[in-house]
Amino acid sequence: MTQFVVPRNFKLLEELETGEKGTTGDVSYGLESTEDITLSSWNGTILGPDRTVHQGRLYSLKIYCDENYPQKPPAVRFYTKINMSCVNSDGTINIAKFSMLGKGWKSEYSIQRVLEALHAEMTSSENKGLRQPPEGDTYY
Amino acid sequence: MDPVRRIMKETQRLLSEPSPGISAKPDETNFRYFHVIIEGPYQSPYEGGVFHLELFVPDEYPMVPPKARFLTKIYHPNIDKVGRICLNILKKQWVPTLQIRTLLISIQALLAAPNPEDPLDPQVAKHWKENEPEALKTAREWTLKYAIDN
Repeated sequence: MTQFVVPRNFKLLEELETGEKGTTGDVSYGLESTEDITLSSWNGTILGPDRTVHQGRLYSLKIYCDENYPQKPPAVRFYTKINMSCVNSDGTINIAKFSMLGKGWKSEYSIQRVLEALHAEMTSSENKGLRQPPEGDTYY
Repeated sequence: MDPVRRIMKETQRLLSEPSPGISAKPDETNFRYFHVIIEGPYQSPYEGGVFHLELFVPDEYPMVPPKARFLTKIYHPNIDKVGRICLNILKKQWVPTLQIRTLLISIQALLAAPNPEDPLDPQVAKHWKENEPEALKTAREWTLKYAIDN
């Protein structure tokens, strides 16, 4: 009876509020539609980190939180084309290589944490020098 | 009083002595999460509508207010398109002597008396201030469309 679980919608409302106040720095996010009462479809952006091939680029992502969020991770895909070791050729995330969205998911994580982790991943030795598609290309 | 005990007691009273036009039932798996129904007040554009809300009592309760939002779409200057509610006692005016019940009664009163001077949805508030009869008509249409089970 003393278990303490924040229901999905109230966790997402908190995330929405944090996102609206404006996150500091390199990632931002918000609902895709301000009328989405189910709080499911989100847009995210990541600013390419300095001293990498991504510097100065802005990446858009689509994030989908189904009814099992945050017990299960959201579905995340890049909308802006990127060449990155954990991103499949259609923009979806390869969870075998980015375990935060797979086995490593924890219910206290958030959309912001995911975006920040992807931002950090862009600076890895594997990713920071990879040749990139023309700026602004999208997957669909 | 221990907060959990207080929530239990409030829940019991909400179930045994419900306020007119308001129902609040705790979720089967989470005693801090409530499924709420508020009937649109008499002689308001929401009359006849059945509005579903969800309410969550956070860990810090009663030092902080419960959180609540509409799940049924509603056209109201103090309620935004994802159901968030602008109400003083949901924010700074909350005091621990208030209860879940008082909060729900205040939300019901907000439906009877919209306050376009303190808007959450600026567009709806503008509509309200510039052409109230038309705004009321839209509110009525939304009630018929979204809040009345056919």
